[in-house]
Amino acid sequence: MNAPVPEHPAIEILSLYSAGDLPFLLRQRTKRHVGKCAACEQQVLSLQSAKAELRREAHGEVLTGFEAIADWQSLESDMVGNIRVGVAASRCIENVGRRRRIGSRLAWAAGMVALFAAGWMSRIPPEDNARILMALRRAVGLEQPVFNGTVVRSTPEGITVRAQGSTLTLLHPQSAVVSMSSPASVTARYIDDDSGQVTITNVYGQ
Amino acid sequence: MSTVSKFGFLCGLLLCASSGWAEDKGGWLDWQFPKDSPVLMRDHKGFTNVTMRGPSIVVDLHETLILINVGKKPICGLTLRVEAQDITPWGKGSVIKPSLFVLPGEEFPVKVDMELLRPITAAKSESAMVQVSLDCALFSDLKAYGPDKLNSRGTLMVYEMQARRDRQFLERLLETGRLPELRAELNFGNEDSIPRQLGLEFLRGPHAPALREQALTVNPVNFPKAPVQPLSGAAQVAGNEVRAPHVDVRNLTKLRVSSVAMGWIVRDDQGTDFVAGALTSRLPIGPVQTLSISESGTLRFSLPSGKPMVIERLMTFVNDVEFADGSLWIPSRDDIDAATQDIALRRELATSPEEQRLASIYRREGTEGLKKELKRVSSSN
Repeated sequence: MNAPVPEHPAIEILSLYSAGDLPFLLRQRTKRHVGKCAACEQQVLSLQSAKAELRREAHGEVLTGFEAIADWQSLESDMVGNIRVGVAASRCIENVGRRRRIGSRLAWAAGMVALFAAGWMSRIPPEDNARILMALRRAVGLEQPVFNGTVVRSTPEGITVRAQGSTLTLLHPQSAVVSMSSPASVTARYIDDDSGQVTITNVYGQ
Repeated sequence: MSTVSKFGFLCGLLLCASSGWAEDKGGWLDWQFPKDSPVLMRDHKGFTNVTMRGPSIVVDLHETLILINVGKKPICGLTLRVEAQDITPWGKGSVIKPSLFVLPGEEFPVKVDMELLRPITAAKSESAMVQVSLDCALFSDLKAYGPDKLNSRGTLMVYEMQARRDRQFLERLLETGRLPELRAELNFGNEDSIPRQLGLEFLRGPHAPALREQALTVNPVNFPKAPVQPLSGAAQVAGNEVRAPHVDVRNLTKLRVSSVAMGWIVRDDQGTDFVAGALTSRLPIGPVQTLSISESGTLRFSLPSGKPMVIERLMTFVNDVEFADGSLWIPSRDDIDAATQDIALRRELATSPEEQRLASIYRREGTEGLKKELKRVSSSN
């Protein structure tokens, strides 16, 4: 007498078995059953055949959908190229904007410098400009450094002696004649309009 | 007064107070005349302004001192010493009144216009910021009174001798009726022939030589009858800067010379000559001795506009000589005429304070005014 055939597995189990998708223990049990049961074996072969047909048909449909794509590498090159062109174009547009901004800023700065220079030239006396220029020349080493000793000098307003941070100026009219006298002194001579007398002022440095 | 003005005024007051700048702490100006002085102050008038300029205080002093000759002799010249405590002893000033002719009992004004600029933080002593005192008074007999700390006697003597020389010269022109010469001499109506102006700066102390400095020969201008003659000289010149000028001079007399003042003429790159002044050397020169006179400081020249003057040539002449016996030599008119053919330079050499004063009278009052003034001075002497 033959051993009794266990109950047939469900069609879902056989389908999964035919695709090789069952877990290990269930697959081994189903394999033993299919090996002993001709009906289930036929069912499995039928499922595998249908699956192979479906795969074949599916493959054919895929090829049909991408018939226009002849060369993936070419497509990749085209896409990368397009992306690069896009990136470059966006960078280019960005640079143009930046250049415009820099240009406008430079123009604004140049305008301000020109306005400042015009204001400076019309407002600042030439003597002060000369002093500033001399200070700049001293800063870059083209002139001698500032003198720190006693200085006597003439100015349009008077003759001065400067020492220890203080300055004494004897004032005179612009008509005064300035000359040097010694030791280390400067003299200014003028006619006093009120008295008609000659006045001579001196400053001395030591 | 606006809020800003009030704020500025308040700040100024606070800064003045914090730095000890209150006027009750000695005041701004003080004057000193010894009790035996032939000149005393009878009155004074004026005003003082104190303002802020950045981190400094500016004191503007404008004072007219009314002085009186309380001596017995006419005064023909006066020097007042001006000292500011901030810069003493490194610097000081003076006001000289030559050609005065003040008879005993007469009053005369002396104006003192000055500006003192000092840091706010500078300390202040108990005394006045500025002291004015008598340094020297020269009488018509050429005797002098005063401490003479600024060697004022010699200076006043030179001015007085030049004044006498020029008055004599003009009197001679008037007496002989040489009015065109008189007109030319006093530059009447010729604005171009007023004394040439220049800017000066004298540096004393540590100073590095300028870049591109070169030696320049100093050319002597000789007065035929000068007791001391310049022989040769040189100076280091860079642009508008003259450093370490020196000149060899020879005493041609048998007298001992106590001081020589060397006049300097500077020619710019336009060919214009400027009499830059005279530097006095107090080195004694023995009879028939040669001596090198030098100046240690640095001089900078500029045009009245402030533009640096490019120095093309340097010339020197003997301005005056003082002998050990106290006598003085100055060049005569004939000496000046013989020294140079350059009319402009000759005029520059001959221009004295007295001639400047008389020219002013001549321009205002004409020949009669000049005659009157010459007569007044002659009688007061």
